[in-house]
Amino acid sequence: MTLITFNNFHFRYKKNKEYQLNNINLKIDENKFILLCGETGSGKTTLIRSMNGLIPQFYPGYYKGNVIVNGKDNSETPIAELAKDVGIVFQNPENQLIAMDVENEIAFGMENLGFPKEKMREKLIDITKTMEIEHLLDKAPFELSGGEEQRVAIASILVLEPKILILDEPLSSLDPYMAEKIIFLLKKIQIETNTTIIISEHRMDLILPVVDEIILMSNGYVLEHNTKENIINGKTFQDLNLNKPIIYSIFSQLKKENLFKEKIPASISEAINYLQKNK
Amino acid sequence: MTHQLPQIILNELDYSYPNGTVALRKINLNIYRGELVGIMGMNGAGKTTLIRTLNGLIRPSKGTVNIEAENIETKSIGELSKKVGLIFQNPQHQIFSNTVEEEVEFSLNSLNLNKEEVRSRTIEVLKTFNLEKYRDRSPLNLSGGESKKLAIASIICRDPEILVFDEPTLGQDGKEISFFTNILKEERKRGKTILIVTHNIEFAMEYIPRTILMANGRIIADGVTKKVLTNQYLVEKSSLVLPQTRKFALKLRDIGIECPDDIFSKVEMKDFLANYLKTKITEV
Amino acid sequence: MSLEILQAFKFQKKNSFIHNLDPRAKLLFSIVYSVSGLLFTELVPLLILFLTLIPLIFLGKMFKEWMRSIRGLSSLILIIIVLNTYFLSLAYAISMIIRILIMITAFSIFFLTVHPNDLALSLISMKVPYEFAFSFSLAFRFVPTIAIEAQNIMDAQQSRGYEMKQTGLINQIKNLFPLLVPLIVSSIKRAFNVAEALESRAFGSIKNRTYYYSIKYSVKDWMFTIYLFLILIISIYIRIQFLLMPEWILWSLPV
Repeated sequence: MTLITFNNFHFRYKKNKEYQLNNINLKIDENKFILLCGETGSGKTTLIRSMNGLIPQFYPGYYKGNVIVNGKDNSETPIAELAKDVGIVFQNPENQLIAMDVENEIAFGMENLGFPKEKMREKLIDITKTMEIEHLLDKAPFELSGGEEQRVAIASILVLEPKILILDEPLSSLDPYMAEKIIFLLKKIQIETNTTIIISEHRMDLILPVVDEIILMSNGYVLEHNTKENIINGKTFQDLNLNKPIIYSIFSQLKKENLFKEKIPASISEAINYLQKNK
Repeated sequence: MTHQLPQIILNELDYSYPNGTVALRKINLNIYRGELVGIMGMNGAGKTTLIRTLNGLIRPSKGTVNIEAENIETKSIGELSKKVGLIFQNPQHQIFSNTVEEEVEFSLNSLNLNKEEVRSRTIEVLKTFNLEKYRDRSPLNLSGGESKKLAIASIICRDPEILVFDEPTLGQDGKEISFFTNILKEERKRGKTILIVTHNIEFAMEYIPRTILMANGRIIADGVTKKVLTNQYLVEKSSLVLPQTRKFALKLRDIGIECPDDIFSKVEMKDFLANYLKTKITEV
Repeated sequence: MSLEILQAFKFQKKNSFIHNLDPRAKLLFSIVYSVSGLLFTELVPLLILFLTLIPLIFLGKMFKEWMRSIRGLSSLILIIIVLNTYFLSLAYAISMIIRILIMITAFSIFFLTVHPNDLALSLISMKVPYEFAFSFSLAFRFVPTIAIEAQNIMDAQQSRGYEMKQTGLINQIKNLFPLLVPLIVSSIKRAFNVAEALESRAFGSIKNRTYYYSIKYSVKDWMFTIYLFLILIISIYIRIQFLLMPEWILWSLPV
């Protein structure tokens, strides 16, 4: 089932002359783990904000075409309404944690939507277990480490059970071990709750193994949106100046030297599988 | 290089923040002129505290910091920052001038240079960093990548002997990281000593010869990057992960492909696999 | 007056009789004691009022913080004694000091024992609009963040050769720009980030928002409130009937 549809969507911020998004045609389906990548300035952040109505409602500008989110138009439906379907974890978790402690942080979204107390308590207990933050409930935001902040921010959005969870560069300030941990947590959540997860990230080595689909952007255009396999074996991906995963670099080079003829592996396990089969 | 004294000597450094958190425990470190050293470890391990002791922003509670054979205890931050250029993570924490050009000139203020010198250094550094076209624009309108360049330019124009970068590759795409590595090459050619605090394991493996690992305020490893970052125990203790090539090498051995121990870069791994696949082809 | 005095107002989480009182009772407490303190300029009533506060400091387990603030006030106290003694009398000077002590202690007890979240809740229960109470607690929440940011800005600028100390008033003012501009710019950016995060979590979407925590007046709170009213009524009575009061209340220092 398609959750978000972009129909010939264009957008430019009021003060800019150039369009930030050009003729976007995109369909986001349910239960997918999607990587959004592109060079800085390619429009990823603008695209993300179009998915919950921040664009064009919170950020004034000019737009053409439309974006339909779970049957609702993103320019007419109030952002608060769209927030039930689309949750966004923004780039800097520090600026998203608005409460004095973790417990109130997680309750915040539910309070805004008028959930009854009992329901709030139940959901809070559930989500803190899933995100492994039960021991942090009475901590203030400045007492949390980067990884803890991230998990709390994710928990405070997931507790509203959106159909789509979008994360804008969630791993940037995390150390590698914590980044890996959060990626696996997110994959688990996608599978167990049927939630579509969209992540905008530069660090592909860590994330490619769990991804289903990739959206490639450049200069405000969506260049391609396809399965991971198709994208990384395509020319567009090859030509983009991104932080390509090490495995990709190794095998695409081997392909160039005609020593390798199969689909380029997206992860170490895929590479190992191939080599094992062909021993 | 070992016949001379180290340029930077940290001896038995201890430091605790006013709220009681112990940030540095018995730090001992020698860095020689011209070295490129990485500093890695979990968030909260003491990396940012350590670099702040180098220009006097933090004065250790115990132990000494010697730079170029002088104890820096009595030197002011102003004096020290002429020798040690610290470039922080977030360019937004320093940008304030009306134009990009003025932003660079501000950094040159304290160096007591004449007007000509200030002009020429400003023009030169803006050229090096491809920021000339923005020179009359407000620095607040620069993109993330451009403002990061401006932050680096603001320190490099002062020509300090020692450069210290705090997370220079954070949030940067391939193009921006390439540009940064070029700047590193240039500064190394000029004989500068460079320290880089980073989380980027693949970057460290590729470009940084020597790495220090920190955990809980201590230095738990100090050596050749390729050896340090492929040590499972050390990697776990510092909340890192093994480099991709290393993970791959271990998995290859698991399935019976004997991958030698000294494969570290992606080129080396590619060459090894190329040979392996060639032998497969000749076998068939 | 050093920054130490601010320690008297920073919330500390403890389990004490005062901490467990309803925040509204504590707000009432600060108001009642301040008003009562303002009613008198005479030494004895003020002293009595002050002495009734002392047990509350101990009941709130905050003696250390309170002492720190008094130390911070010491220079101000000295100035008041000197000026008042010169122009009026020593007795009056001491009365003024006790009055200041009463008011600072009253509000200090409030801020030391009321969690900002509870403060917002009490404002809401007094029919203050939610958005207003919320921006109040949001300000509290970001104070430590902004303090850390200010430190980071100072570090970054000093690393570029910026000197914190300058001579001359004009130079000192100009010298604030490299610190203030980044701080203000980042605060504005932060405001936008916070706003869009709030929108994305349905802030302000419905009129009847529910609350995860609530504050309720208990028996303890009612008893404390009755005690406060007694203090107020007695103080007002003594003020009005002052000249009919026994000798010892009117006692003062001969100076």
